[in-house]
Amino acid sequence: MKKQPWLRLLALLMALALAAAACGGSSDDDDDAGTDTTAADDGGDDGGEEPAGDPEPGPGFDGTTIRLGVLTPTSGSASIIGNPLTKGNQVYWDRVNAEGGVAGKYQVELDIRDTAYTEATAIQEYNASKNDVAMFNQILGTAIIKAVLSQMQQDQIAGAPATLDADWIREPNLVPIGGPYQMQVINGVDWHINENGGEGQKICSLAQDDPYGDAAQEGLDHAGEELGFEPGPRVDFAVATADFTTQINQLEGDACEAVVLVATPLDAAGALGKAAQVGYAPQWLVVSPGFLKLLFAGDLAPYAAENVAVLSEGGNWGDESIPGMGQMIADLETYGGDQVPDPYFAFGYNQSRAVHQILEKAVEMGDLSREGILAAIQEVESLTFDGLLGDYTYGPIEERDPPRTSTIFKFDAAAPTGLTSVAEVESDAAMSFEFDG
Amino acid sequence: MGIASVLDPVRRRHPGGRPHHKLDLEGTKDLKLLKGPWSKGFAVALAVAYFMIPGSLEEQTLRTLCYCGVYAIGAIGLNILTGFTGQVSLGHAAFFGAGAYCAAYLGSTQGWPFLTYVLAAVVVGLAIGGLVGPFAARLRGNYLAVVTIGLLFLAQHLFMNWETVTGGGNGVTVGEAAIAIGPLDFRDLELGGLKYTFPQAMFWLIWAFVALTALLAKNMVRSRPGRALQAIRDRDLSAEIIGVQPTRYKVAAFAIAGACAAVAGVFYALLQNYVNPSEFGGRIGLFLSITFVAMIIMGGVGTIYGSILGALLVEYGRRFIAERGGDAPIFGIPVEKGWVTTGELNGILFGGLIVFFLLLEPRGLAALWMRVKIWFMSWPFSY
Repeated sequence: MKKQPWLRLLALLMALALAAAACGGSSDDDDDAGTDTTAADDGGDDGGEEPAGDPEPGPGFDGTTIRLGVLTPTSGSASIIGNPLTKGNQVYWDRVNAEGGVAGKYQVELDIRDTAYTEATAIQEYNASKNDVAMFNQILGTAIIKAVLSQMQQDQIAGAPATLDADWIREPNLVPIGGPYQMQVINGVDWHINENGGEGQKICSLAQDDPYGDAAQEGLDHAGEELGFEPGPRVDFAVATADFTTQINQLEGDACEAVVLVATPLDAAGALGKAAQVGYAPQWLVVSPGFLKLLFAGDLAPYAAENVAVLSEGGNWGDESIPGMGQMIADLETYGGDQVPDPYFAFGYNQSRAVHQILEKAVEMGDLSREGILAAIQEVESLTFDGLLGDYTYGPIEERDPPRTSTIFKFDAAAPTGLTSVAEVESDAAMSFEFDG
Repeated sequence: MGIASVLDPVRRRHPGGRPHHKLDLEGTKDLKLLKGPWSKGFAVALAVAYFMIPGSLEEQTLRTLCYCGVYAIGAIGLNILTGFTGQVSLGHAAFFGAGAYCAAYLGSTQGWPFLTYVLAAVVVGLAIGGLVGPFAARLRGNYLAVVTIGLLFLAQHLFMNWETVTGGGNGVTVGEAAIAIGPLDFRDLELGGLKYTFPQAMFWLIWAFVALTALLAKNMVRSRPGRALQAIRDRDLSAEIIGVQPTRYKVAAFAIAGACAAVAGVFYALLQNYVNPSEFGGRIGLFLSITFVAMIIMGGVGTIYGSILGALLVEYGRRFIAERGGDAPIFGIPVEKGWVTTGELNGILFGGLIVFFLLLEPRGLAALWMRVKIWFMSWPFSY
């Protein structure tokens, strides 16, 4: 066999290279350098009985600045939710930073990553940013949270979902706020049957074919059991459906007189537009992420004003009887640039407020490490929002209890956000819903 | 001067001597994998880089290179189908998804060993490709493309509704899938008392599979079956006249492309740690399939290394823009200050690159490299 001297050279170089690459590994005795999670071990002081000092630097905290991640769609169809919501996140922190920061001394920065509202991209962006952030201030999308949750548990990192699925209530890594979708639908259906003349009507659903749709459907099924009716068929659609003719025909063919619409704004407007076009006019009960003033105004406005109820939470924009409203509007005017009043902005603002309360507790406990933040989540007794959202009972994970009150809004093109409240509902059916998680 | 000396330039120029090293009268040199000292040196450099890179790059860059490797495996398969056989496919994401679910179900849920579920993914990819292949015997061009798009919607329906295997719309985590070959556990790699992170270990594993796939593909395309595929691509009727069976080779090309994509899907699932039906079917699946096509166009249609270059360009470029694009100035104004979002910039540049390559260099990066190579080979007469 012919000798191959270059093969020998190759083998020698490989051996040398492997030895050099081994320098990038870590020895058994030096776990901190080897994995992300062990690096976080340095962050905290476990001595609970001694007075807590200043938190040690750790992932996402350099001793002066706390860096928070944001996983949100800034491109694609769902960016019309993601952008105002992120603006709400930012405006809140701009004001807190101007006042000195968390605990009056730690500034907060956001690391904003575009998920394009797809799980695949979100996972990559999560991995790209997880080592640089203390926790995630916003993760938008039920399906996206399901995609990254196991990683978050593995990395022991906390995050605030910008989605209202009841599944998050018993998740120690998540900081949910607001009444879950299940609550919105149960209260909305209760309102329709008892106060809107919908008794005896066939109530169906037009839902996104993903966990967001499943969550709302769970609410409809529970409402059916508690209020004594058999829900009509669930008609599914995929995100960014171009034409809703099939779905609308199916709902009309099934003689659905009320429809729970579970969608993001572009799809919601597409479905309502098609229904208006064919003259199909049931009572639409739109779960909160489906609404956007910009899309409901224009040609769709008369139809929306007549047939649409939006299921959400809180009061009217500008209602000075709500304690936190004045501050939010003042912050929007000071730091919001060209941002207009928007329910997603308000949600983002409140989300940062929730994260702020968690971080204050973590600083108080002297531990801004990932473990410290996870511990702080279970030490906070409740998250409060000055009336902008219902207060959320926190504490140990098994004792978490979300607000169960929903507000029913009607479309009103003249209102700043396009919504005017018509009822506040805390139904018995909602109170009986159990959050097993 | 006799006619014999005209036909035998070697003997005429140097009786008893050797021809110039660039003169290949028998064509055997064309079949060599490494054709000269430069090629061998380059192979050595690649091998050294393979071992050095995990120790010298940060975790996020390694992850990106892992994804590049995943897409490179899939792109090699598509290049065999499209670049070498001339068959259009926009259904590559469906094969990719089938592989991902092999890792999720067989690897994570059922607990099969790593090599076993990789092998299962190969078999599944071959089978699905083999089923789609016969359509290629009856259809071509746009009609074939539409049929392969149909595959995406069938796959999405299957993935969404076969809940016991796929987890349905909730997706399924892949965290329990073993990634071990013999004593080497790539989830928790330890060599000589030194621990390596997951991205470091996966870099070695994935790029070893890239090298293996590229070697197998290269061996195939430079042998008889490869020449048959290229004959079909250039003119299938002529190929049939000289004894090539187009149906058989088209089906085989689809099956091989399916197997490559399925293996890529396995590694994708392992890196993502989670798979969801929406990633591989419908609109998003179509975008993924188009991304594979873009990779081979930008890298070089009809070249194996072009598939790898294309995957590196598209995926690394995408990540680079996601990481750095927000601060990039456009007309002096940072992107995130009001022009477009980073995600939108990524989409614009992706589209722009496809247009650029199709208009100005349809044979991709591989052709640019060939030009450089030819220039040096003919130097000093490089005009």
